[in-house]
Amino acid sequence: MINIKLNVNGKDYSLEIEEDKRLIDVLREDLRFTGVKEGCSEGECGACSVIMDGRIVNSCLVMAVQANGSSIVTVEGLVKDGELDPVQRAFIEKGATQCGYCTPGFIMAARAFLNRAKDPTREEIREAISGNLCRCTGYNKIVDAIEEAYRYEKGI
Amino acid sequence: MKREFKVVGKNIHRVDAFKKVTGRAIYPEDIFMENMAYGKTLRSTIAHGYVSLDTREAEKIDGVLGIFTYKDVPNNRYGVVYKDQEVFVSKKVKRVGDPLAFVVAENEKLCDLALEKIKVYYEEIEGVFDPVEAMEEDAPKVHGKSNILYHFKIRKGDVEEGFRRSHVIVENTYKTHMVDHAFLQPEAGIGYIDEEGRVAVIVSTQYPHYDMEEIASTLNIPIDQVRVINAYVGGAFGGREDISLQIHLALAAKVLKRPVKTIYSREESFLAHSKRHAMVMRYKTGADKEGNLLAMETVIIGDTGAYASWGENVMRKAGVHATGPYYIPNVKVDSYAVYTNNPFAGAVRGFGATQVPVAYEQQMDALAVKLGMDPVTIRMKNIFKVGSETATGQILTEGVPLEECLSKLVEAMGYPYGKEAYR
Repeated sequence: MINIKLNVNGKDYSLEIEEDKRLIDVLREDLRFTGVKEGCSEGECGACSVIMDGRIVNSCLVMAVQANGSSIVTVEGLVKDGELDPVQRAFIEKGATQCGYCTPGFIMAARAFLNRAKDPTREEIREAISGNLCRCTGYNKIVDAIEEAYRYEKGI
Repeated sequence: MKREFKVVGKNIHRVDAFKKVTGRAIYPEDIFMENMAYGKTLRSTIAHGYVSLDTREAEKIDGVLGIFTYKDVPNNRYGVVYKDQEVFVSKKVKRVGDPLAFVVAENEKLCDLALEKIKVYYEEIEGVFDPVEAMEEDAPKVHGKSNILYHFKIRKGDVEEGFRRSHVIVENTYKTHMVDHAFLQPEAGIGYIDEEGRVAVIVSTQYPHYDMEEIASTLNIPIDQVRVINAYVGGAFGGREDISLQIHLALAAKVLKRPVKTIYSREESFLAHSKRHAMVMRYKTGADKEGNLLAMETVIIGDTGAYASWGENVMRKAGVHATGPYYIPNVKVDSYAVYTNNPFAGAVRGFGATQVPVAYEQQMDALAVKLGMDPVTIRMKNIFKVGSETATGQILTEGVPLEECLSKLVEAMGYPYGKEAYR
C-alpha cells in the first residue's frame, strides 16, 4: 500500500492505495467518480479522459502514483453551482450524445481544448478530439457542439 | 401552408442527455453493492476439441467463493433461435472463447489467480475455418451431421433463358470479412438476490425479456423469480442480442446469495459476443444491349461460426436483398448459413443487407463497363419504382423514391450524367 494525495474536482483527498492501481481505478473505485469510463484500457478510445494539471490524459495510462500531488478534473467537476459547463450544454443542445459512453471523455477533451483555443476551426476541433472514439458515429454533431460551446463562452 | 407541429421540425433534447453529459448515467460497472464479490470467466484457447477441467487447486485459494462449471447448470443449453450454445462447455469446445468456467472471489485479483490455477486439459481435433470447405461432405462437423445450418432459396422466372437472351454477362466472386461491433462499453453486469428473494441481474442488453427467459430456463426456475434490469447501454449495434454474462451472474448470485459483479476487458468483449457474417458471394448477372437486367444468379455463403445466433435470419435477409434495388425478371438465389469453428456471427447493423451491396453494386459497374455505359444510366434503367416487383414477388406500391434520391445525389456530386459518355 502507498499513500497519495490528489485534488479531484476542487476537493483534496489523501488515499492509501495498492501500488498497482491506475488513476482510473482510484477515481472510479475509491472516489466513485464513475463518469470516468473505461473502454479499452490501452489509451485508444479516450473514454477515460480526464484533465490532469490542465492537460488531457487517458486515466487508464496514468498510474495512480504518477498522479500524486496533481489536480484532476472529471466530468462530475464541470457542473458549478448547479450550472452546466458550456460544453455540456452544447452537447445537449446539438444532440452530440447517443449511447453516452464516450461522452464524458469527449467533453473533457473539448474542455481542455477550449481552455486554450482561439477561433478554432473544425479541423482544429477534430484534432483536439482525435484521441476519442465514438462508435455510434456521432462525430459531426460532436464537432458542432464544440463549436457551439465556443460561441456560448464568447457570447457570440 | 406551413404547418406547425409540436415535435416535428423542433430541436428536442434527448431525455437522457443531461445524465449522459454529467456522468450520472449509470452503466452496470458503475454500481457498487454491499458485500459484493467479483466474477471472471475461463474461456477456451483452442477452437475445436474436447476439454476437461481440474478446479481443485483453484478452489483452495483463500477468498475464492465458487467455481461454476457445466455441472452447476440445470439446463446447460441456450440460444436466441436454436439452443445450440452451452452456458459452460460440457465436452466439446467449438471456438476460441467458449466459456468453460466462472470463478467468483472476493476481488478481481483473486479471480485472476484462480483462473491461472484451473488446470485445463484439451484433446484438440481438426477444425474447419472456411465456410465453403465446411459445406463439403467430409469436412469436420461443428454440430451434428452437417455444417449447413440454413439454406434460403429464391426462384423467379427462368435464369437460363435470361442468360441466353443477355448481350453481356458478368461473373464474379466477392468476399467480405468478419467485423466486430466494438461498442464502446465492454459487457458488464451485476447479479444479486433482490428484496423479494428473486434472482436479479443488472446488465446492458438489447433483449431483457429474452435474457429473463434464458436465465429462467437454464437455471430451471420460474420466470417470475427472475429480474433483468437494463442499465444504460453503451452501444450495442446487434452485439448485445445474445447472452454474454447474464446467466453466469444469475447462477453465481443464486448459489452464493451475494452480489457478484463482472466487467469484461476489451479483449474478452471481442471473444464473448457475435460478429458480422463474413460472406462469399458468387454472382452472375446478365443484361441486354440497352443495359436492362435480364437475369441474376447468386450463391451467398455466410460464415455463421460456431453458433447459430441469428445466422438463419441474417442469411435470409442477405438472400432477400441479393438483387439490390433493381428489377430483374429472372432470379435464382441460394444463401446459406454455415457453421465453422470461427467466432459466432449474429446480429450487426444491417443484419445481412450490408454485405450484399458489395457484390450487386460492383456487378452493375462491371456491366456498365462492358456495355460502355455510364454507371448511373444503367442503375436508372433498372432501379425500383412504384409498381416494381422484387425478386420475392412483392409489388412495391408506395414509398420508392430511389430515382429521385439517385438524381439528387448525381446533381450534388456534379456528376455529368446524361451529358457525356462514361469511360
